[in-house]
Amino acid sequence: MPRTPAPARPDVFAALANPTRRDLLQALLERGPQPAQSLAALFEMARPSVSEHLRVLREAGLVEERRAGRQRIYRLEAEPLHEVADWLAPYERFWRARLAGLRDLLDSGAADVPAAPPAADS
Amino acid sequence: MTEARGADARTSIHVDELLGHPPAVVWRALTEPDLLARWLMPNDFAPVAGHEFTFRAVPLPDAGFDGVVRCRVLDVEPARLLRIRWRGGRLDTTVTWRLVPEGRGTRLLLDHEGFDPDDEIQRRALRGFGGGWRGHVVARLRELLDALAV
Repeated sequence: MPRTPAPARPDVFAALANPTRRDLLQALLERGPQPAQSLAALFEMARPSVSEHLRVLREAGLVEERRAGRQRIYRLEAEPLHEVADWLAPYERFWRARLAGLRDLLDSGAADVPAAPPAADS
Repeated sequence: MTEARGADARTSIHVDELLGHPPAVVWRALTEPDLLARWLMPNDFAPVAGHEFTFRAVPLPDAGFDGVVRCRVLDVEPARLLRIRWRGGRLDTTVTWRLVPEGRGTRLLLDHEGFDPDDEIQRRALRGFGGGWRGHVVARLRELLDALAV
């Protein structure tokens, strides 16, 4: 079995950066849990390289491995995907930071003078 | 394969904040340009429907954002509601503030709506925003998630 050095920290993005690994996830999504053998057949790949990709996905928490007899069955783990795909999280952080600033401003009393807003009706 | 595409992609942000000040005070902080500048961004806002103004932010050239948020006041209901069109870079969104009296304070509800997850540049803009996303990965993920959500 060929061995490559394991990354220092499992990285979901790094795991997903590879098109073959994304295709593997897609296959697990569409077909449900699969043995490594079927996945290898599906992608016409050598077993060791499929195993290697599955190992990276497993370390990133994207697939779960289960032994059944002499087979290893792989299943998609969706949780990390939800985390990564929350593409609006940076905007949400932006607003939360600004609202903290608003709270500070209000607490400073800067907006306290209860002046009537200037009439701006049309 | 992409029939469910977009069905579940998040296109809006909702933030809910309870503030210990009455709506009239919160309203001033939202609508007086000097006060608004102190917690949000420098601006030439006026609480008048139809008024066009800008917010000035730090430009993010890599994200196609020149630092100018171009806005238009859509709705004004003093001490209750403020809705503005919010365009910056490739974003064309709507920001709505709602002020609801609660006890002696105000519940402030923010809706930032209209994000387009299909726009590659919007996704790239997030990198400048501090997200560090990799657009092509997110695009593929979205397809996966859409399918999962069915």
